[in-house]
Amino acid sequence: MFEMNGEVDVKMKKKKKIKKKDRLEGMKKEMDIVSVIHKTRRRESWREYGLTSSKAAEVLERDGPNELLPPKGTPEYVKFARQLAGGLQCLMWVAAVICFIAFGIEFSRGTLGCFDDLYLAITLITVVVVTGCFGYYQEFKSTNIIASFKNLVPQQALVIRDGQKNQINAMDLVVGDLVEIKGGDRVPADIRIIFAQGCKVDNSSLTGESEPQSKTPECTHENPLETKNIAFFSTTCLEGVATGTVINTGDRTIIGRIASLASGVGNEKTPIAIEIEHFVDIIAGLAIFFGFTFFVVAMFIGYAFLEAMIFFMAIVVAYVPEGLLATVTVCLSLTAKRLARKNCVVKNLEAVETLGSTSVICSDKTGTLTQNRMTVAHLWFDNVIHAADTTEDQSGQSFDQSSETWRSLARVAGLCNRAIFKPNQESLPIPRRIVVGDASETALLKFTELAIGNMMEYRERFKKVVEVPFNSTNKNTLMLSVHELEDPMDLRYLLVMKGAPERILERCSTILIKGQEMPLEEQWREAFQTAYMDLGSLGERVLGFCHIYLNENEFPRGYKFDSDEMNFTTSGLCFAGLISMIDPPRATVPDAVMKCRTAGIRVVMVTGDHPITARAIAANVGIITEGSETVEDIATRKRIPVEQVNRRDARACVISGGQLKDMSSEELDEALRSHPEMVFARTSPQPPSSPPLIIVESCQRLGSIVAVTGDGVNDSPALKKADIGIAMGIAGSDAAKNAADMILLDDNFASIVTGVEQGRLIFDNLKKSIAYTLTKNIPELTPYLIYITVSVPLPLGCITILMIELATDIFPSVSLAYEKAESDIMHLKPRNPRKDRLVNESLAAYSYFQIGAIQSFAGFTDYFTAMAQEGWYPLLCVGLRSHWENVHLQDLQDSYGQEWTYAQRLYQQYTCYTVFFISIEICQIADVLIRKTRRLSIFQQGFFRNKVLVSAIVFQLLLGNLLCYCPGMPNIFNFMPIRGQWWFVPIPYGILIFVYDEIRKLGVRRHPGSWWDQELYY
Amino acid sequence: MAKDAEKSTWKDFIWNSRTREFCGRTGSSWGLILLFYLVFYIFLAGMFCLTMYVMLQTLDDYKPTWQDRLGTPGMMIRPRGQAMEISYNTTNTETWDMYIKTLDNFLSPYNNSLQAEKNEECTPDQYFIQADSGDVKNNPKRSCQFNRTFLEKCSGLDDHTYGYQAGKPCIIIKLNRVIGMLPGKDGQAPFVTCGAKRYKVGKDEWKEDSDKIGEVEYYPENGTFNLMYYPYYGKKAQVNYSQPLVAIKFLNITLNEDINIECRIISNNIPPGSVRDKFAGKVSFKLRINTKG
Repeated sequence: MFEMNGEVDVKMKKKKKIKKKDRLEGMKKEMDIVSVIHKTRRRESWREYGLTSSKAAEVLERDGPNELLPPKGTPEYVKFARQLAGGLQCLMWVAAVICFIAFGIEFSRGTLGCFDDLYLAITLITVVVVTGCFGYYQEFKSTNIIASFKNLVPQQALVIRDGQKNQINAMDLVVGDLVEIKGGDRVPADIRIIFAQGCKVDNSSLTGESEPQSKTPECTHENPLETKNIAFFSTTCLEGVATGTVINTGDRTIIGRIASLASGVGNEKTPIAIEIEHFVDIIAGLAIFFGFTFFVVAMFIGYAFLEAMIFFMAIVVAYVPEGLLATVTVCLSLTAKRLARKNCVVKNLEAVETLGSTSVICSDKTGTLTQNRMTVAHLWFDNVIHAADTTEDQSGQSFDQSSETWRSLARVAGLCNRAIFKPNQESLPIPRRIVVGDASETALLKFTELAIGNMMEYRERFKKVVEVPFNSTNKNTLMLSVHELEDPMDLRYLLVMKGAPERILERCSTILIKGQEMPLEEQWREAFQTAYMDLGSLGERVLGFCHIYLNENEFPRGYKFDSDEMNFTTSGLCFAGLISMIDPPRATVPDAVMKCRTAGIRVVMVTGDHPITARAIAANVGIITEGSETVEDIATRKRIPVEQVNRRDARACVISGGQLKDMSSEELDEALRSHPEMVFARTSPQPPSSPPLIIVESCQRLGSIVAVTGDGVNDSPALKKADIGIAMGIAGSDAAKNAADMILLDDNFASIVTGVEQGRLIFDNLKKSIAYTLTKNIPELTPYLIYITVSVPLPLGCITILMIELATDIFPSVSLAYEKAESDIMHLKPRNPRKDRLVNESLAAYSYFQIGAIQSFAGFTDYFTAMAQEGWYPLLCVGLRSHWENVHLQDLQDSYGQEWTYAQRLYQQYTCYTVFFISIEICQIADVLIRKTRRLSIFQQGFFRNKVLVSAIVFQLLLGNLLCYCPGMPNIFNFMPIRGQWWFVPIPYGILIFVYDEIRKLGVRRHPGSWWDQELYY
Repeated sequence: MAKDAEKSTWKDFIWNSRTREFCGRTGSSWGLILLFYLVFYIFLAGMFCLTMYVMLQTLDDYKPTWQDRLGTPGMMIRPRGQAMEISYNTTNTETWDMYIKTLDNFLSPYNNSLQAEKNEECTPDQYFIQADSGDVKNNPKRSCQFNRTFLEKCSGLDDHTYGYQAGKPCIIIKLNRVIGMLPGKDGQAPFVTCGAKRYKVGKDEWKEDSDKIGEVEYYPENGTFNLMYYPYYGKKAQVNYSQPLVAIKFLNITLNEDINIECRIISNNIPPGSVRDKFAGKVSFKLRINTKG
């Protein structure tokens, strides 16, 4: 059966993949067609005029607004209906219908108390509807989160229509519109570039490439994702300007299609959903089984059909834990709230627990493990490597800045830099300010700003005369600029240059050492090489810096520098130093990775970066631990070819995208199994077979529960496929957030660890909560069994049961969610979803047959006490039912010879309900206390440490008192003001529960693995 | 193939011959767990018996611990009829014969001879209090005579049909026994009065049959329950207690019609019963006497 399912699954997946590929191919073709059409229509006049407004309105009417619509879900009413039609809900509907029928029949007979059935039916329906609304609201809220994120960025677009430039809402863009984009803008639609000047876009949200892509009007590739003349919706233009025509809008854009592809990937059911479903099925099955058995028994004994139906209904009401779903939902949402305070927004409530059972985290590098900003990490000058402060808040150690060389180096780095701060950010700390410019220049700008001070002013002092920027077209890997000097008396020009270190060195003839220009001898060249290699092996991007004071005579003031002709000295310069940059790991990450490791969770890094950088970061944050070697490391160490190395000796493994492409899924599984420390680098982010998806599938095949972090649109299929998808709140695209179950508002990996901890805690606490909730089902059920079989007056009514389930016991069961962990849960292995069930056999047995049994005895003791003290001895009660419930018998004799009317007996029966209710409450107080711990003694855990639980007990008692003594209760909820003494009757049983559980825990602690432990530990 | 796999797992669960497991447990495992539960439940049952025993020890054999529900004693009529409806046809003996039998049965312990034999004559119009002196119980307690002849025309001694044949039926009213109840103070005995019952015929429309009831006679005189029959000491202490009765005789009730009658106890010591209890301190019934065949 399972095998076949598997086969079908695989086939389905294959089909889906084929479909996806087909669709993607189709997408490409369409794009080509669009571009052809536009080529033919290209006219100079149109280029300036754009569309007419009327034409635009017409197209808008046809195509709809330019926005990403959330994937079409099920209609709202279906969602709501689904909430009302679960297994338990259906049972309750049946029970309600039976109540209505019973009410109808009894009402026509004019029986006293027939309205109880009506109330019961109404209560049952209310319960179903209210819990349904609750569930629906949760679902609704999670979709709302996306909506709010979407609304965060109202997009504007500069469009040319009727020959005029207009700023319009990007939503109103249509195909054919002429739009202008400039540095800092988000591309408002899929655009074919017709004019561009130094335009670079950041495609990272779409493809995951971190390098900016330059855009030009030439069509360089037939694949729309590769060609240079198409800019995509939602990507960001980093610099330059471009004009283009809109070729796709809204859901028809590439990003829209990928998002809809993602929504096609099946969503895995969360482990907790599986657990609860499994458990609800069992409960519903048992309820029907019990109900039906007793229906048959009742019919057999000779009860009327209607009565037997009412028994059936009552047993269903008694056995179904009505409050359970509410409890679980509330527990989960409490944790979700707690997580939200720690910057994890949980979209799908059940995901909270999934996080706890996670055994593999596939983490994106950029932004999650790292700060997602290039930062100067090291400097090399005066023949020494200095480490710069890379912490987020500049709390680290700085290096010695007294050297003259440092001042020159900083001057070069500051001047030879085109990046500028956006205005009006003086109040922000420097690392957080927004900069216009590429990543490395940004890093240098911030670094110099921190080291020297106001760079903008500094640059004013050194007036720029000319500059030659990096230029990809003429393959210039250098950037230089010429400045006047600060000192107005010094008429020399200063030429500063930066670029690839080896190219810089080629142009140098001297080197600055301690502020002195020294000839660049072989000794220095070697030192340079060593430093360069060292920094490179750290995975850092290294830039070289040099400068020269131009000869005053050769280049006097007013000399016409020409950036194209390069009519000035560009060799024989003075080498100032090296600066290396890296996207540094977040401060909290190494600690968090360490915690994951102790918690038995593998962290797998997936990044588009170079393997060396990836490895360096992995080693830095502890994903690759100290002393772990890759196959290649072993090979170099042992000086043997890579092929001869035993793959199992290598703990770590770095797999590049190219290798990954060539691996079969079996090879990947094997790799994941044999290397505990995995890094996937330079993964090409081409959908539909994005590497994270493959990795996730492989991990799931190995039986792991996988969490995936991602931000790009290309990640969304993997996010959806993962057991729990975690999207980045800041860097994340809407598509990723849509596909994810959880959103990290601060993009911080450490938050995931918090999530794991909370997830594990909630699993433990849910177990306790469910055990508590289940226990009382037995004392709710036994009264009926005794009532039917022994024919005593009914000890516990249906409405009373509902009051226990839905009023008094809800708060205590929820309060267990606040219980502290018994042991250090972050030192345990993740739970095995196949073995460690939420509700296991011993939990059910212990709750039902032991604690539940004690509670039943408590209830009956109190019941018989109340009956006997009012005049009905226990033996008289047996078999009394038919007389007791005879509406026309107004003078039934009790054990003392007193005569009772029917109404007096009915109120006595209500008294019994109340007394039984109080017994269950008293026992449940003992129950909630024992459920605080599963292994430790309560004295170790502390009685009052969980304040919520204490107040829940107080609340429970107050509510119990209110129900008992509030006037009017007898005729509304069938509660009677009972004698104070009867509150104390169940207390011995409460103490018994407490003492028995302490004995159980003692046995479990003292004899782990023993029979006692196996049978009684849940 | 799939089905086989499914079947075998189920079969395996019920009886796994490889591990010799029945429902997931081996024989010894079942034995142990059942033994555990046996001991557990024996202990629980023992505790239950103990608490019940302690509870029963607290009970007084002669007086219930509480009488919370019995503040207002219930009232009842004889014959009860079907669902408090007495209807018969004067010409058809079979329709009222059962009422006669009920009354005969009900009144037989009140025969004067029996009463004289078992009970004693008491001083009327005052409570017959037989207090215990401290721990020494004054048991068995004596009871007062309530002779059938007190009911005069409704005693069934002269008229064996209790007036049913003549269309002048007797209804006997009794007040529910409640231990220790003293139904009147200042020596004023409670008495029964019967009248028409207001009943609903439509929305906000009420009706009563006061003009149709005609003349009613009460036995004993004025329909009083003499104070000497109170207080009641319970069936254990006062074995031969004879509950006082009041009979009412409808002398010229309208025939061939449903008539709703309500009788209530008038006393200066009995609180009015709850609105919801139609039988606390009052009793209502329907009477219909047909004369035509």
